[in-house]
Amino acid sequence: MNAMNFNFLCGDPPPASARSVGIIGAGPSGLAAAGYLSCLGYLVEVYDKLPKAGGLMLFGIPGHRIPKERVEAGVRRMARKYGVVFHPRTKICCSAPLHDEEGDHFCSDVRGLGDLVKKHDAIIICTGSWRSRRLGIPGENLPGVMAGLEFLFPIRAAGYAGPGIKAPDVAGKTVAVIGAGHSAVDVVHSALFLGAAKVHLLYRRTRHEAPCGSYEIDRLEAAGAAWHESVTPLRFTGEDRVTGVEIREKTLGEPGPDGKRCALPDSEHVTVIEADLVVTAIGETATPPFAKELGLENVRKGEVRWLHMTDIENLFVAGDALTGPSKIGKAVYSGLRAARSLANWLDLKDQDRLADYPYDDLVAREADRFPGGRLHR
Amino acid sequence: MPHKQKVLYIDYSTCIGCETCEYVCRFVHDTPRIHMMRTASGVMAPLYCRHCENPNCAKVCKRGAIVRDKSGAMILQPQLCRGCETRQCLLACPYAAMFETDTGVMLSKCDLCAGRRQIGLSPACAEMCPCGAIHFIAREDIAKIETDKSREAFERVMGHLRPGKGKEE
Ligand SMILES: Cc1cc2nc3c(=O)[nH]c(=O)nc-3n(C[C@H](O)[C@H](O)[C@H](O)COP(=O)(O)OP(=O)(O)OC[C@H]3O[C@@H](n4cnc5c(N)ncnc54)[C@H](O)[C@@H]3O)c2cc1C
Ligand code: SF4
Ligand code: SF4
Repeated sequence: MNAMNFNFLCGDPPPASARSVGIIGAGPSGLAAAGYLSCLGYLVEVYDKLPKAGGLMLFGIPGHRIPKERVEAGVRRMARKYGVVFHPRTKICCSAPLHDEEGDHFCSDVRGLGDLVKKHDAIIICTGSWRSRRLGIPGENLPGVMAGLEFLFPIRAAGYAGPGIKAPDVAGKTVAVIGAGHSAVDVVHSALFLGAAKVHLLYRRTRHEAPCGSYEIDRLEAAGAAWHESVTPLRFTGEDRVTGVEIREKTLGEPGPDGKRCALPDSEHVTVIEADLVVTAIGETATPPFAKELGLENVRKGEVRWLHMTDIENLFVAGDALTGPSKIGKAVYSGLRAARSLANWLDLKDQDRLADYPYDDLVAREADRFPGGRLHR
Repeated sequence: MPHKQKVLYIDYSTCIGCETCEYVCRFVHDTPRIHMMRTASGVMAPLYCRHCENPNCAKVCKRGAIVRDKSGAMILQPQLCRGCETRQCLLACPYAAMFETDTGVMLSKCDLCAGRRQIGLSPACAEMCPCGAIHFIAREDIAKIETDKSREAFERVMGHLRPGKGKEE
């Protein structure tokens, strides 16, 4: 299979420049940025806490949807032909205690952001959005209740990491999945694939509002999953291990004049869906190192001195780390733009012309064209 | 026309709707010429130009603003295009592959990355699609890589584009 060509902007590598850039995170945004900058001849070094580059393209999204060989070939090409240096299993510390997010147990090296800032002319943070959001209802800490990435990650990682990492054992079991986004769909497919006896999918609204679309729900049902809509999870049942989810269920009537469907009177009731394993796949939040110190809120709002630049001058940020969970396409675009912004900034800085550049105008125009990353999800 | 004319072919059965093609096109050309279609049921698929052998877009354009270049790509020449309000070309395209924009002549279409091809590069979308769903391939070789699944997925997408004509959901 052909390589995913992160170096699509140039043919043969250009002559080497003296500039050195560090990229933290090798997901689609980091790889796209690395491709752009290596096409300028920069020396690019990419740090990732996982054993392989690819981010969620390799470790989140199930393999039948993205051929890993294509991503791997693109990474290899970037390393061999364009001289990009990859530092796998290297976590750049730290917004949270180590071993807090999926994938932390792979690190063999932990480096401070400060060291990198000294080493490189500039840095782009592309660490994605991995901390799973929680429902905040009783019983969520029971064994057998897990988050979407917690469930999916080991399935992909088992192939790379050897002993210690095992795909969740769901064969013959009943699994309940809460949510209706891409991750929820992937969890259901994976659970069925791993031989679960029964898979329930629970969503608080109807299939027409499901972020993954009603077509996906149809496909999941055809694959054998049981779909429950308009249900609200109240608590997880069980003593020392989860045994099910208690839910409030209601039946909606026909749409009223305003197009809204209200619950039929007396249709609301509380029941329990029994399950050996419950996966909450209701989304992830970004966990970049030093979110506060970097002033990421301002970058999100577009209140920055330079596109994609954080409060620290030569630190840039891109991808889901900046926008929150989005999609591969938006992450790639964000990485490319951060890389271009960084290169422009270094150029002007070298010419001592930063002061006469109209940042405000630039930022306002760009913010118009690309309002955040939350569309469609 | 050269013997082997290369065009884009997207295998909708391996496409996951990730929007990389559209965003890469946006980065390269500012205004993307490949666009995601999102149906009410949540099916996402990129719409793209086939550089047809008998292109309707060129046929209906009275000013001859859409012409074939020497490697076979159908190119919109903004200098000849008047941006007429009837938008005949846009309506005539069976694949919904011409797009309205808010700049210039208010229309854009794929030119198979003409500028990139000139320096030996391939269309950017095909290079970056994570799934390898976009092929830059000789027109006569498309049939060789089609599968039952890809034809079925194509019909599904076309069903949304031409309600009534194609298969409905
Ligand atoms: C289950 C699931 C299914 C999805 N399905 C789709 C889909 O079908 N289509 C689609 O378009 N999108 C999908 N997405 C979303 C898509 O995967 C993301 O939007 C995209 O990967 C974001 O890219 P990124 O480069 O910003 O971050 P990521 O891909 O998350 O990459 C971040 C990288 O940074 C590394 N990292 C994090 N912290 C550190 C640190 N401190 N030090 C060193 N390295 C670090 C991580 O190991 C990781 O490799 C899905 C997401 C999930 C979770
Ligand atoms: S980049 Fe490829 S997989 Fe993604 S939407 Fe475009 S054709 Fe589909
Ligand atoms: S714009 Fe439409 S009609 Fe014209 S060549 Fe492309 S696909 Fe064919």
